[in-house]
Order: sequence, then C-alpha cells, then structure tokens
Amino acid sequence: MKAKIFHLGERRRFERVVGGLRDDLYRYAMWLSRDPQVAEDVVQESLLRAWKGLDGLQDESKARQWLVTIVRREFLRHRERQREEPTDPVDLEAIAGDEVDPRVQDLQAAIFALDESYREPLALQVLMGHSTDEIAALLGMSQGAVLTRLHRAREKLKQAFLEDGTLDPEQS
Amino acid sequence: MRTRLTPEERQARAAIVADEARFEALLEAAFRVKAPAAASGMRPRRARWPTVLALAASMVLAAGAWFGLRTELPRHDVSPLAPEVIAHIRHEPASLVVTASTVSREEFDSVLRGGRATLAAPVGRVSYAKLCPFRGRMVAHFVVQGEHGPVTVMLLRDEDVAAPTPIDEDGFVGTLVPVEGGGSVAIVGEPDESLEEIRDRLLQAVRWSI
Repeated sequence: MKAKIFHLGERRRFERVVGGLRDDLYRYAMWLSRDPQVAEDVVQESLLRAWKGLDGLQDESKARQWLVTIVRREFLRHRERQREEPTDPVDLEAIAGDEVDPRVQDLQAAIFALDESYREPLALQVLMGHSTDEIAALLGMSQGAVLTRLHRAREKLKQAFLEDGTLDPEQS
Repeated sequence: MRTRLTPEERQARAAIVADEARFEALLEAAFRVKAPAAASGMRPRRARWPTVLALAASMVLAAGAWFGLRTELPRHDVSPLAPEVIAHIRHEPASLVVTASTVSREEFDSVLRGGRATLAAPVGRVSYAKLCPFRGRMVAHFVVQGEHGPVTVMLLRDEDVAAPTPIDEDGFVGTLVPVEGGGSVAIVGEPDESLEEIRDRLLQAVRWSI
C-alpha cells in the first residue's frame, strides 16, 4: 500500500509540474517541427522522460525551462531518426487548422516559412515566455545574438504581414 | 511578389505593425495554434510505455479509486478559460513571488490604460503589473498581495461570462466574474487565500475605457 501512496503523490506532483504547460509544449514542438503529428510524438516522449526524471527536478519554479529542454532534446532526437527515415513534409493547412482571422493566418504562414534559427527563439519568447538569457542558455548563444535574432525575426514577419504572409525565400 | 491585400487592408496592417502591442497580440495568437483536444491528458498513441510504468500508472489509478480521491473537478463545473488563465500566470513566474515591492501608481495606470481599463478605487498593494497578450488581445495583468500570497488579477475586457465561474486548475483556485456592461475579471490565488474581499473591491472599481 505504501508504494501506491507514493505513486499517487508522484502523479500529483507530476500533474502540478506539467499542468497547464502541456498545450504550450505541444505548440512549441509543433513550431519546431512544423508537423502536428511529430509534435504529438515528441511531447508524448518528452512527458514520459519527464515522468521518469521527476526526481531530478529539485526546484519546481524551474519546471517550465526543464520541460522545454526535454522537449527540445526529444525533438532533436526525432530529427536525427527522421534523417534516416525521411517523411513527407506537412503543409501549412495542417497546422493552421480552423483559424479564421486572415491576419493571424498570414502571420502563421510567415512563421511557418521562417528559418528555424529565427523561428525557435521567437517561439521560446512569445509562446513559452522565456527571457533572452534563458533562450541564450538553451540555444548556446550569447544574449546579444538572441536579441539580434528576435529583432530580425520580427522584422521579417512584419514585412511578410504587409505582403499577406508571403516571406521572401531569400529573407527567410 | 504575390499581393492580394487591398490598399485599405495594407493601410490597416501598417497601423498594426506600427503599434507594438497590437502586433505582439496578433503574433501570440498566431503561435497559439489549436492544441489537440487530448493535449490536457495525452495518452501514448503507440504502446511505448514500459510495462513497469504502465503497471505503476494502473496502481496509481487504483489507489486513487481506493481512497476516493478526486484530483480534477468535472469540466462542466469550471471555466473553459481557466487553463489559459493559469498557463498565462505560470508563464510569468515573477508574478507568483511574495514580495514587499510595490508598483508605482504611474506604472500601474499605464498598464491599465494599455488594457483599456481604469480602477475607480484602490484594490490593495499592487506588487506586479504588466500588459500582456492573452487570446489575441492585450490585457492588464497585475498582482495584489493577499493574506497568504500573491493574488493574480487579469482584466478581460473581451471575455464575457454569463455568471461567476470557478477556476480550479493546476493547484490554483479563483473565479471569473462578469463585469457590468461586458467583459470579465479573472482572480486567482492559492487554495487557502480568501479572494472574496479582493473580488468585491475589484467589481466596484473596474471600468472599461475606449
């Protein structure tokens, strides 16, 4: 019986830690991979790893960064596997879903077309609420480089937004 | 380059691009693609869970049933906005800190203005205030220090609720209350915090501005 009680406590802790972050972890994985199916797989695997490694999380206030790191590593693992077994690319409609606001649709198209080196730091900031130093630590970059990427990413998106979401391929 | 925008639409978009808050709100809305319905309780679609873990999960569920414990309220009893309110609060951990610092009146007013709101009377010591994108709109998000810790308030001018609706999510409790004339206020705190007094003060004080 003690084992059962222990697991119940662990599960509650896990739910508290992961809780409201699940949807945003999925969105982060989705914008990393640009593939909803891959994003679901990545988040599933990540949550399993998080469950197994829950004891390693000493400070629950760091749960967000901890989970993002797990999702990112899992995505990189997935991409390595994908290199060996390439799959068909997903089109934007699979991501945008039932979004009806054309302005949001156009921004989604522009984000979709954005190079990963700009897309990821922007997703970390806008979606996951990471500070520039947290992004710098996660991506192994200087804060200055992160600020430059974030600024340029927004400039590219603004330009595309004024051109109905079309991102100049040379500028992506 | 392909362009399908009319001159009027282009002009409207240029105005959005020139207004940082509006552009940021749209940007966040664009990133917030719809998550799968099961995201709040994802289950592996493939049998990847090791047997031991699956067994442990079964034991957990069995233990939960044995003790009659309920970890979640029925969904129809809580606000559908609750997960997004709580996720937003968790994104800003600085807002969850018990602190002696106080936001200046000027700074607080500026946040309220950005959220198209004013407060006709004081609501307590404000320790954190920020204009935040929420569901595609900029909203005033501030924290009043309660008896047991920070109490988060979000002034949701564009989110109507028919009646006071409980929030019980991820270890936080609170309420979404309608404001006369439209919109609502989310008030969230720790489970042992008494929110009624702050709620009543807020409902008396909040006014929407143009």
